[in-house]
Amino acid sequence: MKHLICIALLCLSTTMFAQSKYLTKTGTVGFEASVPSFEEVKATNSAVTAVINTDNGEFAALVLVKGFRFKNALMEEHFNENYAESDTYPKASFKGKIKDFELSKLTNQSQNFKISGALTFHGKTNQFNDLDVKISKDNEIINISGNFKTLASNFDIKIPKIVRNKIAEDVLVTFNFKLIKK
Amino acid sequence: MRKYIILLVLLILGIIGYNYIYQEHRNISTESPEHILTADSLFNQFSENPSDSEKNYLNKTIEVSGVISEMGESNLVLNKKIFCQFKNLSNRNLPTNKIVKIKGRFLGYDELLEEVKLDQCVFVNH
Repeated sequence: MKHLICIALLCLSTTMFAQSKYLTKTGTVGFEASVPSFEEVKATNSAVTAVINTDNGEFAALVLVKGFRFKNALMEEHFNENYAESDTYPKASFKGKIKDFELSKLTNQSQNFKISGALTFHGKTNQFNDLDVKISKDNEIINISGNFKTLASNFDIKIPKIVRNKIAEDVLVTFNFKLIKK
Repeated sequence: MRKYIILLVLLILGIIGYNYIYQEHRNISTESPEHILTADSLFNQFSENPSDSEKNYLNKTIEVSGVISEMGESNLVLNKKIFCQFKNLSNRNLPTNKIVKIKGRFLGYDELLEEVKLDQCVFVNH
């Protein structure tokens, strides 16, 4: 009898915790801090992990900073050594929640949603509220994309005077995730 | 005569400067690996001590052998634990359960999915 109750409880708990998750390991996050008429300061990372819990709209992403690729190898080296200091801070992450997220409402036409959450990069965490994101669902793939602007100084990244006119303080961050049901 | 020497020196400096600024990216496929290990032994180090292990391997070229557990468009997963991203994955139809050796750059440890990530991967003797 005891066993039966245990089994029943176990079944109940597994169904209760069976969350539906969608995830990707190859999401893209890019940033650009270019100044017109100077060489572009732009990088893309195409090995970003992102997970969404479709029951409540909770969203998390993890970026391995060494994975940002620049066109110019020297710029990539400087980014890693002097700006992002990726040996000390190898990870950037985002944890947040999409407002009024409902899986059943998604269609193959992209709709606007708002996301709020905390972004950690270079050892500093900043809260972002109500960023616009576009979400669509094609068969079993949820597509989340968008962009936002932030300041390098918010993440304690100092741009030396000598290159200040070549690197914008305003950084445009773009992201695109194709999440698959797990 | 002195004019030509000065010009020549300037030219050489210019070439050196140009090559420094526009130097080539690292080529992982021609680098020899600093560590050679199996997928399981690599992953076990991370389940024990993720942060120290990460510092130990970060940005290094390593060679990992393991069993393909998942094939993606430009990536594959070894032993369900080591995610390898390729620059150009020529053979996309490799069977899972095939044993392969892969060389790549260590990117970091993904604690969301508990996976080790490598990029710029190539097959070794494939």
